[in-house]
Amino acid sequence: MAWSDPEFAPESPPVRTRLWVVAGAGAAACVGAMWLAAHQPAYRPTEPDAALTLVVGASLLGCGLASWRARPENRLGPVMVVTGFAWFAGLLSVASVPWVYTLGSGIQYLWLLGIVYVLLSFPSGRLSRRTGRLMLAGTVLLVLTQVAAMLYGNKAGLRCAGCPTNVIQVFHDNQKAQNWLNLQRMIGAVFETSVIVLLVRRWWRASPAHRHAIAPVVIAGCATLAALVWTVTFDLLGDPLGALPAEIWFYTTATVPVAVAYVMLQRRLARGMVAGLVVELGEPHASTDLREALARALGDPSLQLAFWLPAERGYVDADGLPVTLPEDDVERRSTIVARDGEPIAALLHDPVLEHNAELVQSVCAAASLALENERLQAELRARLADLQASRARLVDATDTERRRIERDLHDGTQQRLVSIAMSLGLLQSKLPDQAEARPIVAETREALALALAELRELTHGINPPLLAERGLAAALDELCRRAGLPTRLALEIDRRLPDRIETAAYFVASEALTNAAKHSHGNEVQVLARDHGRTLTIDVADDGIGGATAAGGSGLRGLADRVEALGGSFTVSSPPGRGTTIRAEIPCA
Amino acid sequence: MRVAVADDSVLLREGLSRLLQEAGFDVVGLAGDGDELLELVQRTGPDVAIIDIRMPPTHTDEGLRAARVIRERWPAIGLLVLSQHVNARYALELLSAGTDGVGYLLKERVSDLSELSASVNQVGRGGSVLDPAVVAELVGRRRQAGSPLEHLTERELEVLALMAEGRSNHAIAERLVVTDHTIEKHVKNIFGSLRLPQSPDDHRRVLAVIAYLNGRE
Repeated sequence: MAWSDPEFAPESPPVRTRLWVVAGAGAAACVGAMWLAAHQPAYRPTEPDAALTLVVGASLLGCGLASWRARPENRLGPVMVVTGFAWFAGLLSVASVPWVYTLGSGIQYLWLLGIVYVLLSFPSGRLSRRTGRLMLAGTVLLVLTQVAAMLYGNKAGLRCAGCPTNVIQVFHDNQKAQNWLNLQRMIGAVFETSVIVLLVRRWWRASPAHRHAIAPVVIAGCATLAALVWTVTFDLLGDPLGALPAEIWFYTTATVPVAVAYVMLQRRLARGMVAGLVVELGEPHASTDLREALARALGDPSLQLAFWLPAERGYVDADGLPVTLPEDDVERRSTIVARDGEPIAALLHDPVLEHNAELVQSVCAAASLALENERLQAELRARLADLQASRARLVDATDTERRRIERDLHDGTQQRLVSIAMSLGLLQSKLPDQAEARPIVAETREALALALAELRELTHGINPPLLAERGLAAALDELCRRAGLPTRLALEIDRRLPDRIETAAYFVASEALTNAAKHSHGNEVQVLARDHGRTLTIDVADDGIGGATAAGGSGLRGLADRVEALGGSFTVSSPPGRGTTIRAEIPCA
Repeated sequence: MRVAVADDSVLLREGLSRLLQEAGFDVVGLAGDGDELLELVQRTGPDVAIIDIRMPPTHTDEGLRAARVIRERWPAIGLLVLSQHVNARYALELLSAGTDGVGYLLKERVSDLSELSASVNQVGRGGSVLDPAVVAELVGRRRQAGSPLEHLTERELEVLALMAEGRSNHAIAERLVVTDHTIEKHVKNIFGSLRLPQSPDDHRRVLAVIAYLNGRE
């Protein structure tokens, strides 16, 4: 569906004229039927009275016209109008003129086919191949059995002793006529029952949104057909309950067109929903969930929203994750909401809403500002997710680079220096005890040992080997043992965590311990490292003078960046005179 | 004494081999990683294996693992593990399974011919060797106030460190230029202050001392 659906073309004058003509004909049919009913002989005890007959016909005509006007593209309106005329045409069978009576009797059940057509084709107005075949079979059988009965019987043979003469009687066998009528009743009962089964099955298989849409029609239809089956059954048994069953199905039949028209006219009711939506979205302090509100207004709980990102030329959900719009999907449809030619969002919804496109359009129009708002938020979240990912990549890149430098130093410079030390050792052993060069070699070896020690400290600081090899718990244990201030460590970690998390946690503790030793003037430090399953927390608390801050140029700022890049939080609490506590929380699920 | 050498750096294992030969050891073969070393040890049955901790394929602690395997299969072979880092934890792990014939030294330490020779001999004879830098780190660790170590004199701390390095009373006496008897008195005092049981065996007391220093006793 797109914005400019031809369904919403304004009503054209010819259509309006045609509707007025049909309405006039309908009114005439009503008057005619009333006249016929008023002159009906009192010899048909099982037929409901004239007023009820009129109600059913008028309901079909009126609701048919209303639906036709609301949905000119949909066949259901015209079909209901035709059914209304067929209903009144069936009343010709109460006329006293023989040929009129005969004609009316012949076609008196065509209206039933109209009702069944409406029920089976609702809401699209089109039959599937299978339901089409069922309809055709029902039509042929009901008309043929009626005509067959009328070829054989007359008056009492057609269960109407006081009726005018049947003008198409050819054979004179009232018993056969009765048999044909009984067969017709039985076929009718089977036909109606299968339609009930079809409707119930369709209901059973429908999505929630579809059920919501077809509920009134399915209920009215099933009630009508059930009442009809009941009536036919009693008819076969000789009407032990008199006119009661027929009266009941007259009432239920009258509700079918009302139910259809109700659903078809829902766009008017929907306007009320849309107005409610506008009010709801306009509330200044509303913490309205836009999706919920739209789902409610559209009657589709499965509704999903997707927002347009112009830069990526694609859609994302509210959390900024990419969404693909369904194409040629039987289960889902999408409607695009646009402003000034640019898409804002897409509604992913149940296909049944296609039959109510104007409601979707109104809802989209009402919510476009709110949708644009949500779109901006989704765009922001997508950007934030990108940013977060890029920060994490930067941290990873730094870690990789650190490991590479440490490795290069270990495999290159350190090895070379050790090898030089070995050569010097060899040289020293070869020098005679009194050689003048001896002190120089000894001096060089000492200088080399110093250089190696410094290099060792450097590589250890760049990438503590224990951290990579034995994990955070072992590395923290070692760190605390080597710390400048007496340090107590409480460890609650019994698994390896991802490298970047262990590295971040280690450097937090390391930097905090260095700061405590350098600046706190305290006596003792407590380190608490705990794996909570979803997060890892590191607390480093000293009992020094406090007054530390992460804002300055200290290493704390860099640590905060590192922890936040992993989606964690980093806090420094350092009230003057009451020690410094550094706390890092890092997600590690 | 027959020695096998394992180091992934050609430069270092050749250098080490030259030094060992210079010092009069019989170098039975050189290996580039743990598997090669095990194969070499099985083939040649050396008295001592000198093993670099960090070797391929993971470049972490293959040397330690190879040492553990050798200790399990051929307990008589002395193990001298070399590291480029002062890693007290690894040293303690190595020694915790028994200090007999086990040593842990920084790589550059073995560039001194006499030091190398003494360490290989000590390990080969079933003694233990712990690098002074590791011992210094263990002794230098900050402790809670009131640690018994605070009651030791400077001299006693010196003796304690030398004990931890694996030296005998006699070697300590030579190093500090005092009589054996003086050292025996110091050792008695130290064990008393730390409430450690006296151990007549020079080898076994290493473990007691370093375990104490590590704060795990």
